[in-house]
Amino acid sequence: MQAAAHAEYENLQPIHPEPTSFLRRYVLSTDHKVIAKQFLWSGLLFLFVGGTLAMMIRWQWAYPGRPVPLLGPLFLGDQGGAIGPATYMTVFTMHGLIMIFFAITPVLIGAFGNYCIPLMIGARDMAFPFLNMMSFWTFAVSLVLVICSFFGQLGAAGAGWTTYPPLSTNIGTPGSGQTFMVAAIFVTGVSTIMGGINYVTTVIRHRAPGMTYMRMPMTVWGLWLTAILNVLFVPVLGSAALLLLLDRVFGTQFFIAGATAVRGGGDPILFQHLFWIFGHPEVYILILPAWGIVSDVLSFFSRKPANWYRGSVYAMCTVTALSAVVYGHHMFMTGMNPLLGQGFMLLTLIISVPAELLFLNWLRTIWQGSIRKDAPMLFALGMVFVFGMGGLTGLYLGATAPDIYLHDTMFVVGHFHLTMAAASFLGSMSAIYFWFPKMFGRRMNATLSKTHFWWSAVFITLVFTGQLISGYAGQNRRLYNPFEYNFLKHLLPLNRWTSFAAFTLMAGQLVFVYNFIHSVFAGEKAEMNPWQVGTLEWSIPSPPPHHNYDVIPTVVRGPHEFADPRVRERLGRDWIGQAEPLLDQTPGTSAPAAAAGRA
Amino acid sequence: MRMLQILLAAPLEGHGWGMPHDASLDGWRIDDLINETSAFVILLFAIMVAWMLWAAVRHGERHPARFDHGTSRRSIAVALSIAAAIFFVVDGHLFLNSIVVWKQVFGNFAWAEAQPGAVRIEINAHQWAWVARYAGADGKFGTQDDIVTLNDIVVPQGLPVLFQVASIDVIHSFNIPNMRMKIDAVPGMINRVWFTAKETGQFDIGCAQHCGANHYKMRGTLTVLPREEWERWAGVASANSARAYDPEDKDAQWAWDWEKHARI
Repeated sequence: MQAAAHAEYENLQPIHPEPTSFLRRYVLSTDHKVIAKQFLWSGLLFLFVGGTLAMMIRWQWAYPGRPVPLLGPLFLGDQGGAIGPATYMTVFTMHGLIMIFFAITPVLIGAFGNYCIPLMIGARDMAFPFLNMMSFWTFAVSLVLVICSFFGQLGAAGAGWTTYPPLSTNIGTPGSGQTFMVAAIFVTGVSTIMGGINYVTTVIRHRAPGMTYMRMPMTVWGLWLTAILNVLFVPVLGSAALLLLLDRVFGTQFFIAGATAVRGGGDPILFQHLFWIFGHPEVYILILPAWGIVSDVLSFFSRKPANWYRGSVYAMCTVTALSAVVYGHHMFMTGMNPLLGQGFMLLTLIISVPAELLFLNWLRTIWQGSIRKDAPMLFALGMVFVFGMGGLTGLYLGATAPDIYLHDTMFVVGHFHLTMAAASFLGSMSAIYFWFPKMFGRRMNATLSKTHFWWSAVFITLVFTGQLISGYAGQNRRLYNPFEYNFLKHLLPLNRWTSFAAFTLMAGQLVFVYNFIHSVFAGEKAEMNPWQVGTLEWSIPSPPPHHNYDVIPTVVRGPHEFADPRVRERLGRDWIGQAEPLLDQTPGTSAPAAAAGRA
Repeated sequence: MRMLQILLAAPLEGHGWGMPHDASLDGWRIDDLINETSAFVILLFAIMVAWMLWAAVRHGERHPARFDHGTSRRSIAVALSIAAAIFFVVDGHLFLNSIVVWKQVFGNFAWAEAQPGAVRIEINAHQWAWVARYAGADGKFGTQDDIVTLNDIVVPQGLPVLFQVASIDVIHSFNIPNMRMKIDAVPGMINRVWFTAKETGQFDIGCAQHCGANHYKMRGTLTVLPREEWERWAGVASANSARAYDPEDKDAQWAWDWEKHARI
């Protein structure tokens, strides 16, 4: 019976021979592991581009209107090396869009979604490998559009990452840069939907025998819920982008309205509804994978089962469902009906309940553990720290009264950077350090990794705390020169200190760049299971063969079975693989220890 | 040394990193809510960090890990109770107070409209300036004696000041931090907002919504005058406006009937 069932699984995913040509192996590959690396490299590259843009913003706030060192002569020669107001708005717009759609999304979802989902559920590849390849190459087209935007006439996109019309129509930002960028969002949305459909289907259809939903690693849960949100809500963003493109290129008036200057029958607020119905799930899209990864890593390196696994799963599912119905808190100041505002406030505040349960589970997972302070664990702990700050500061913004004062200030910027930037960044880094040995078959230098952690964690916290404080003091976001305002003049030293922290943070990433590139080519060879954990991907060689599993594994337990006294007695170690039979599962082993364990 | 000075100055309102000086009658309701929430939030964060530090130091590699999935009824009950307690205390405090202050003050336009002497101002925003229109001596908008000002709003102390806000091009946000007041100016719709100034003086008006390259220069000045002085100003300004009225200048003749029941 069991053998026949297993044969079904094998038939569903036959082993395909590895392609031999360079083109099919590395460029037009359908192997999820190769596609994951393609996403990882392009994501890291654009993370660098987005980070450089952030440095230009920080420079402007530290030394308004002064020539930018290093970058100024390179990119701003025609302006004497300084950032002008029109350039400045393209800088922060491109920073936001690149970081969200072209850096965090490809790294967390493109790279680790692709890499982890099939390996961790015991599959040989994605459900639709060809679609997966299309997903990356569609994404590559959107990257080309982003680069085109930089060379657009009248400069790159400048309407802010939220792209609110009428500013984002020809009224506010004529020129091809903005058009290219809206098109890039549309195209990358197509790519994301392709990936999302693939992830959702793969998790439903390709789980190995015995890999029930409640035995899936939290990482897979996070990525799966993310994929569901992507499939549901990215089409809304796509439609908004398409309507905006029509307004820009074909003269329609979906989002254009006005009293005298720009008559139009449309509704600018409609765009905000469409944008935030996607945009609020998006912030969970960017953090759910990190939550999943951190939930696993905290258990792995505490050598202790994840506390109340089901609770964490239910909490993440609840957050996923709620994320769709809270978006109105971005629009309290648009003249929203107060009753509607109260409804959105209540729903928003309710999200704090599952979030608290998740935090409690994390804190109780590390409690009474046997914590190994390797780089992935340090980054995971750092993520809990910054997400704690980011989550708590969200409380103010979800309530209608404090939002009157805090809306559109740097407090908002600090809040969402702590959650979406700092937490996603530290979560991604935890994942990179954790799966690097599996991806590349080599180890990263441990000392450099820990240096990178302390450097990044300290300065990323300082940067975004500085933003929170300046926002609390009233500094509005997106100001070319905040110190034009009398009530903000005294904040120049604070902004300057924050900028120094940002520059130091950026410089510290050189440690990572060196460590990463050096280790890919010349790192110490990694064994099969360097971290001694039990999830499926660590039971095959590093890097895994083209088809992942010679025999599709049969899963017998959850992903976090650490410190089990029966395992320690039988195997002399504190972990056991998800597909590794022990005691009761193995017929014929009737050792006294086994009997004692059962009793 | 500089760092030390800044740190010491930090708690000082208007000099350090505190909120800008509150010159409005009702701003304290927002400030108190923010600061009370901060007390809760800092406490929760401190507990979390202490817990993590303790675990990292005391439950290190030499500490034996406990085999515990945290699934006992008691353990789950504790987690749910803590989450519920935080929710009802911290979130509940924010939620109820937000509703109350919104209903009683910030959204209570009916009360503000009904106050004798309440000042009504129409704001028409454009890139990158605030145009303000007062009804003038006849109390009607769109007549010759309307006071129209650019980036310069003058209001009396101690009386409710009501604004109806619109925009002709892109979305702006009418923001007076010292009055704890903010509302988006959206083309195609009229939003409203009100405050009462507690103190006289001059304060910055800013734009809070990115509205193009010169967003940062969309700055105006709010002048709060004692009531009699303001009445004198209004009388003179209205008479001047009537004298300078130019029927040919169509662009300057925007105005709308004061809507008692605008969209919110």
